[in-house]
Amino acid sequence: MNFKSLLNKSNLIKSIFVGSLFVLIFISTITYKNSVSITESTQLLIHTQKVRVELEQLNSSLKNVEINQTSYFISRDSIFLKDFNDSRLKVSESINLLQSLTHDNLKQQNNLDSLVKLIRLRYNILLENAINLDDSIQVNAKRFNKSLLEGKEIMKIIRNHINKMIDLEGVYLQEQQQHYEKETYFTPLYSLVMLMFSLIVFIISYYKINKDLEALKQANLILKISTETMNHAEDIGAFSSWQWDLENNNLVYSENHHKLLGIPTQEYNAKTNQFLDFVHPDDRHIIISGQNRVIEHNQSTVAFFRVIRQDGNLRYFKSTGKFLTASSGNRILIGINMDVTEEYLVSKSLEDRNSELEKSNKELASFNHVASHDLQEPLRKIQTFISRIFEKEATNLSSHGKDYLERIQVSAKRMRILIDDLLLFSRTNKVEKVYERTDLNILLDMAVLELTEQIEDAKAQIHRTILPTLVVIPFQIQQLFINLISNSIKYSRKDISPIISFACKKINSSDYNELIKEKNAQYYKLSISDNGLGFKDEYKDAIFTLFYRLHNNSDYPGTGIGLAICKKIIENHKGFITAESTFGEGSTFHIFLPINLNKR
Amino acid sequence: MKLYLKFDINSICKKVLQEQLDSLHLNYTVLGFGEVELNNSPSKETIKKLNQSLNDYGISVVESHKSVLVQKIKDAIVEMVYSDEKLSTSKTSAYLADKIGQSYGYISNLFSDVTYTSIANYIILQKIERAKQLILTNELTITEIAWKLNYSSVAHFSNQFKGATGLTPSAFQRIIDKRKNNIRNI
Amino acid sequence: MQSEIIRVMLADDDEDDRLFFREAFEEIKIKTSVTTLNNGIELMDYLNKPNIVLPHILFLDLNMPGKTGLDCLREIKANDTFKDIAIAIYSTSSSDEDIEETFVQGANIYIKKPHDFVMLKSTLSEVITLNWQYHTNGLNRDNFLLSI
Repeated sequence: MNFKSLLNKSNLIKSIFVGSLFVLIFISTITYKNSVSITESTQLLIHTQKVRVELEQLNSSLKNVEINQTSYFISRDSIFLKDFNDSRLKVSESINLLQSLTHDNLKQQNNLDSLVKLIRLRYNILLENAINLDDSIQVNAKRFNKSLLEGKEIMKIIRNHINKMIDLEGVYLQEQQQHYEKETYFTPLYSLVMLMFSLIVFIISYYKINKDLEALKQANLILKISTETMNHAEDIGAFSSWQWDLENNNLVYSENHHKLLGIPTQEYNAKTNQFLDFVHPDDRHIIISGQNRVIEHNQSTVAFFRVIRQDGNLRYFKSTGKFLTASSGNRILIGINMDVTEEYLVSKSLEDRNSELEKSNKELASFNHVASHDLQEPLRKIQTFISRIFEKEATNLSSHGKDYLERIQVSAKRMRILIDDLLLFSRTNKVEKVYERTDLNILLDMAVLELTEQIEDAKAQIHRTILPTLVVIPFQIQQLFINLISNSIKYSRKDISPIISFACKKINSSDYNELIKEKNAQYYKLSISDNGLGFKDEYKDAIFTLFYRLHNNSDYPGTGIGLAICKKIIENHKGFITAESTFGEGSTFHIFLPINLNKR
Repeated sequence: MKLYLKFDINSICKKVLQEQLDSLHLNYTVLGFGEVELNNSPSKETIKKLNQSLNDYGISVVESHKSVLVQKIKDAIVEMVYSDEKLSTSKTSAYLADKIGQSYGYISNLFSDVTYTSIANYIILQKIERAKQLILTNELTITEIAWKLNYSSVAHFSNQFKGATGLTPSAFQRIIDKRKNNIRNI
Repeated sequence: MQSEIIRVMLADDDEDDRLFFREAFEEIKIKTSVTTLNNGIELMDYLNKPNIVLPHILFLDLNMPGKTGLDCLREIKANDTFKDIAIAIYSTSSSDEDIEETFVQGANIYIKKPHDFVMLKSTLSEVITLNWQYHTNGLNRDNFLLSI
């Protein structure tokens, strides 16, 4: 698990937390709002109830007033008058109360106003009766009856009015009830849904966090394993790692560090065991200049130096580093110190062997010089003197002398050919090789031109084909053609003029057993066949060996170098040469040249 | 006191020659090695005068009909080689005979007597010289040069070049390039 | 007609080679005067002497004690006095490296010493003739390279 996904996880947890917080706040708000509206509705209910009660109270008080008045009227007992007055007071109180209760309701206020007016009217009738209390009973009875009737009428109206107001409150109450119901109808559902939702979110969060924890655990485990692997790797690979915090110049080494220095773990002390003290005194400047380069130029280099371990062993170290920017933003250089003693010793012995090889190559080159110069010089003089004697002194020689001299001349000539061929062979092996993109047709032209005389003498026919253009060492390929053609001419059958045929085709290495292991996939296969002597199949490899000869020198003079040169040339071109033959009928040489030559 | 002197005979000859030629108000070019080209033909009298004055220095004018003719042949060959017209080898003898106004047999013998080389060799020499110049300009490939100089094939050209110089055209080019770098480095 | 004797000089430490060289020129029909010197030091001392007649063509053996042919070649090429001398390397070796190196250093001709007297005569004759061509035909001597 990488850092990024872990970071994403922690972001997810954060967002889940924030989301849950919002859900909780939302639920709280809704609940609060609901309880507020419940309180409001209850209060309204109480209020309506109060109004109704008060209205009833008013009604009954009014009735009391009437009754008391009537009672007083009949009995003339002042107790009734007192009760009458008390009831009136109560009526006024009720009206006042109602007024305060309905102050926010215009309609009820209006109703109340008209009720008050009606009550006043009722009072007036009652007062009229009272004012005329001293009158005669008949008159009063008549009036009383009249007022009683009027009073009854008005009371009926008041009663109706009060009922109307009570009804109205009832209507209000109902409306309120409906509104409240409407408002609180979804509340439980909301709460439930929200609750469920938060529950789910919490469950998911829990699951997620749990899973992350699991992953973290896993990552920790992997980290632990990889740390351990690293420790083992450091131990096995003989290297230690270090981190150099350039900001606070803090250098931390891994555990293997002191092991590389040959210090036992319990004895190691980072403060007293300074690394530089272990570096070979002659190599300390390498470390110091390397560190300076890091500090001054921000460049890290690979350093090779020697270390003298605590046990006095000399080891070869390689140190290399790389800049990183830590999560804290500090630039740090991390790197490794490697004990490369074994590799160093191996490469040193290789180097030694290389220089030995170089030396022997140089010796070989100087041998070439000896062959080309020192051996040739006396031979040349011998030959020149022989030619001088033939030219000037031939008449003074006996026939024997002439014969011997001729034999000397032949031997000298053979020696020259040997030296020349040997030189040609060693030059084919020369270090400097100039590869050029060359049309092989032109090289064959030149080879044929060079052999014009031989070809004409032997009446040889050359059947050519169109050859490709390849990256080759031109003069070597020309030499190859020359050697092969002159070989065919030389080893032709007596009385049969040589016919030399060229063929060429593109092939895949997979189709040929001898090429199957090669990296170059595509080759040109050049076949040069003749109708000459041929050779037995058992010699098909031996003929490419240096100095190997199939024929007697007196029959077919030669040095046994020609085909060895051909092989060398083809090897220089990363190709192959093979031969096949039917003894007595002719032979064919196959040359495989890679199409894309991988130059050295 | 003894003074040791060191001098160059050629420069002295040249100097003397120039002085004498100048005194006769002749228009000339010194070709070196005993040859002077007079740009206009002076009278026999002037030549005689020149001869007399040069005799004091041990120099004499060799007037040879043969040398003049050879020079003409050489000029004709150079002209032929440097013209872009392609002339088949078989026609060169006719071309030269026509140009000089003598039979080819005669001019060929004369040429060999005077120059120790044959007309055929001289033509090759000039062709190879032209080829060298073309190689060094680096503008044409070997194939193009072979075609331009009327060779039947690149191989034929390379072969003749190698026959004349002992080097392949590309080796020649490489050596001259290296030599230039060598001089520059000094 | 050749009106001037061609001055030929050879520096070679091998007595036999000097002998062949002189004898060859005696038998060649070109008019020449041959001077031979026994090694490179002798050659350079001679060339640096005042009042001497410089050769038209100088043959240099490569393998000489003291001063090698290549040393002499470099010295001669560095001195403007000798700029008209054609330099022919005359050596037993015929390695491509030697040939190319001497040409690069300014030699005009590279001769691999022939192993037959008749061939020696024809080679020297050819060299002298070709060099003569360059002299008499106003050819660019910078382009004069001959390996034979």
